[in-house]
Amino acid sequence: MRNKVILLHIKDDVATALTDLQASDKVTALLDDRAVDVVLAQDVAFGHKVALRDIAEGEEILKYGMPIGKALCAIHAGEWVHVHNCRSHRWGFHNDTYGLQA
Amino acid sequence: MDILGYLRPDGQVGIRNHVAIIYSVHCSMFVAQKLRDLFPVGTQLFGVPGGCGLRQGPFNKITALGKHSSFAGALVVGLGCEGTDAYMVAEEIAKSGKPVEAIKINEEGGDLKTIEKGSRILVKLLQHASMAERVAMSPADLIVGQECGGSDATSGLASNPITGAAADLLIDAGGTYMHSETSELLGCADVLAARAVDEQAARDIREAIEAAERQSFESGRFSWGYGNILGGLTSIEEKSYGCLAKSGTKPLQGVLKTYGLPPRKGYWVQVGEPGSGTFHGDPEGINQFAACGAHLSYFTTGCGSTTGGLIPVIKVIANTRRMQLIEDNADLDATPVIRGEKTIQEMGEELYRLTLEVAAGKLTKSEIYQHFEA
Repeated sequence: MRNKVILLHIKDDVATALTDLQASDKVTALLDDRAVDVVLAQDVAFGHKVALRDIAEGEEILKYGMPIGKALCAIHAGEWVHVHNCRSHRWGFHNDTYGLQA
Repeated sequence: MDILGYLRPDGQVGIRNHVAIIYSVHCSMFVAQKLRDLFPVGTQLFGVPGGCGLRQGPFNKITALGKHSSFAGALVVGLGCEGTDAYMVAEEIAKSGKPVEAIKINEEGGDLKTIEKGSRILVKLLQHASMAERVAMSPADLIVGQECGGSDATSGLASNPITGAAADLLIDAGGTYMHSETSELLGCADVLAARAVDEQAARDIREAIEAAERQSFESGRFSWGYGNILGGLTSIEEKSYGCLAKSGTKPLQGVLKTYGLPPRKGYWVQVGEPGSGTFHGDPEGINQFAACGAHLSYFTTGCGSTTGGLIPVIKVIANTRRMQLIEDNADLDATPVIRGEKTIQEMGEELYRLTLEVAAGKLTKSEIYQHFEA
């Protein structure tokens, strides 16, 4: 069994790509007795994240079982999650520094 | 796994059996190095690479290292006019009950006479070390550190979580675990404070992380950059959690702010004593764990740092390409997690087994190469 994504915590809303993945790839996020199938809406590069469920605007997004930021808009399962749709609680302005304001 | 340790007079039990050669000032480093070169088997060299003034931090660090369970005895080499007086260093280490001797180059009359006298002392100390009493050790007696250096995307996804999983197993077995690097835990104050066993521990970890945050902002050396975003990290919290993953999930006992053994078993965050850093970087971090009694240290690296330290280092690499490049320096191949073939838990169990093997005497690559940076 070769997993294409890694699920780091049972409660997580995202899984991380272990290889460069393409739109419409079907992946399964597995951890203990949890298994989530998603079809990718976009390309997701190695190290980048994919949503495992539909996330509403303003909801906290969990990775490692902890909030990495809030959803800036509605995010659907299978979508790429990054600075364009997720913002840090505390230091989001550093994204602005790099011209990455969503 | 039967672990036979080396019993020291103060009751500590070591997993290695060396004699320490300690220079008390930069000026005596030359002679100390010559002595190490004459007796490379069974000795380790460290000291104060700085100048004459007595600075409490380095004094505390080298005396704590001298008391480390790996050392059966110690020879302190001084010049004679420095503040970190060789006799004071020896006197402090001798409180552990182990044989310690000090010599001063100015008193002996130059390099050659000091090397001659030092050689005779080392012969005696090495012979003493060879007769150390062996006693059974359990995982509960072990103290393990965790350093990460040359981090990359695989550090947060695989190697750090693997050490966290091994840490949980060690602590379940009654052992002790520590990491440092509070500057990479920005945004983690709340989650770590929530794991604290008491108010004091919660306050201390908040203060340590807030101090690191202030320092990061004031110095402009903020551990967050465009490269992190390109690599897939969305926020500083996410990056910090990848670092925090090395902590495992057990309760936080507190923050180690001074050297010496942790007051209790379990999981600790270690911060160096102010001004005690004799060098910077990963070997310094590993040696500070040793100054807090760590028997060995994990070292997760993505880019493939090759450095070691005074205690055995178990190098964990999860980056497939780097692993191929730097296999000669790796002790645990964690790439199966990145290839999606093994889980973090499975690799954590492998690392825990390796930890017990190393405690029982299996040499790590850092030891075989004598990567004893100090």
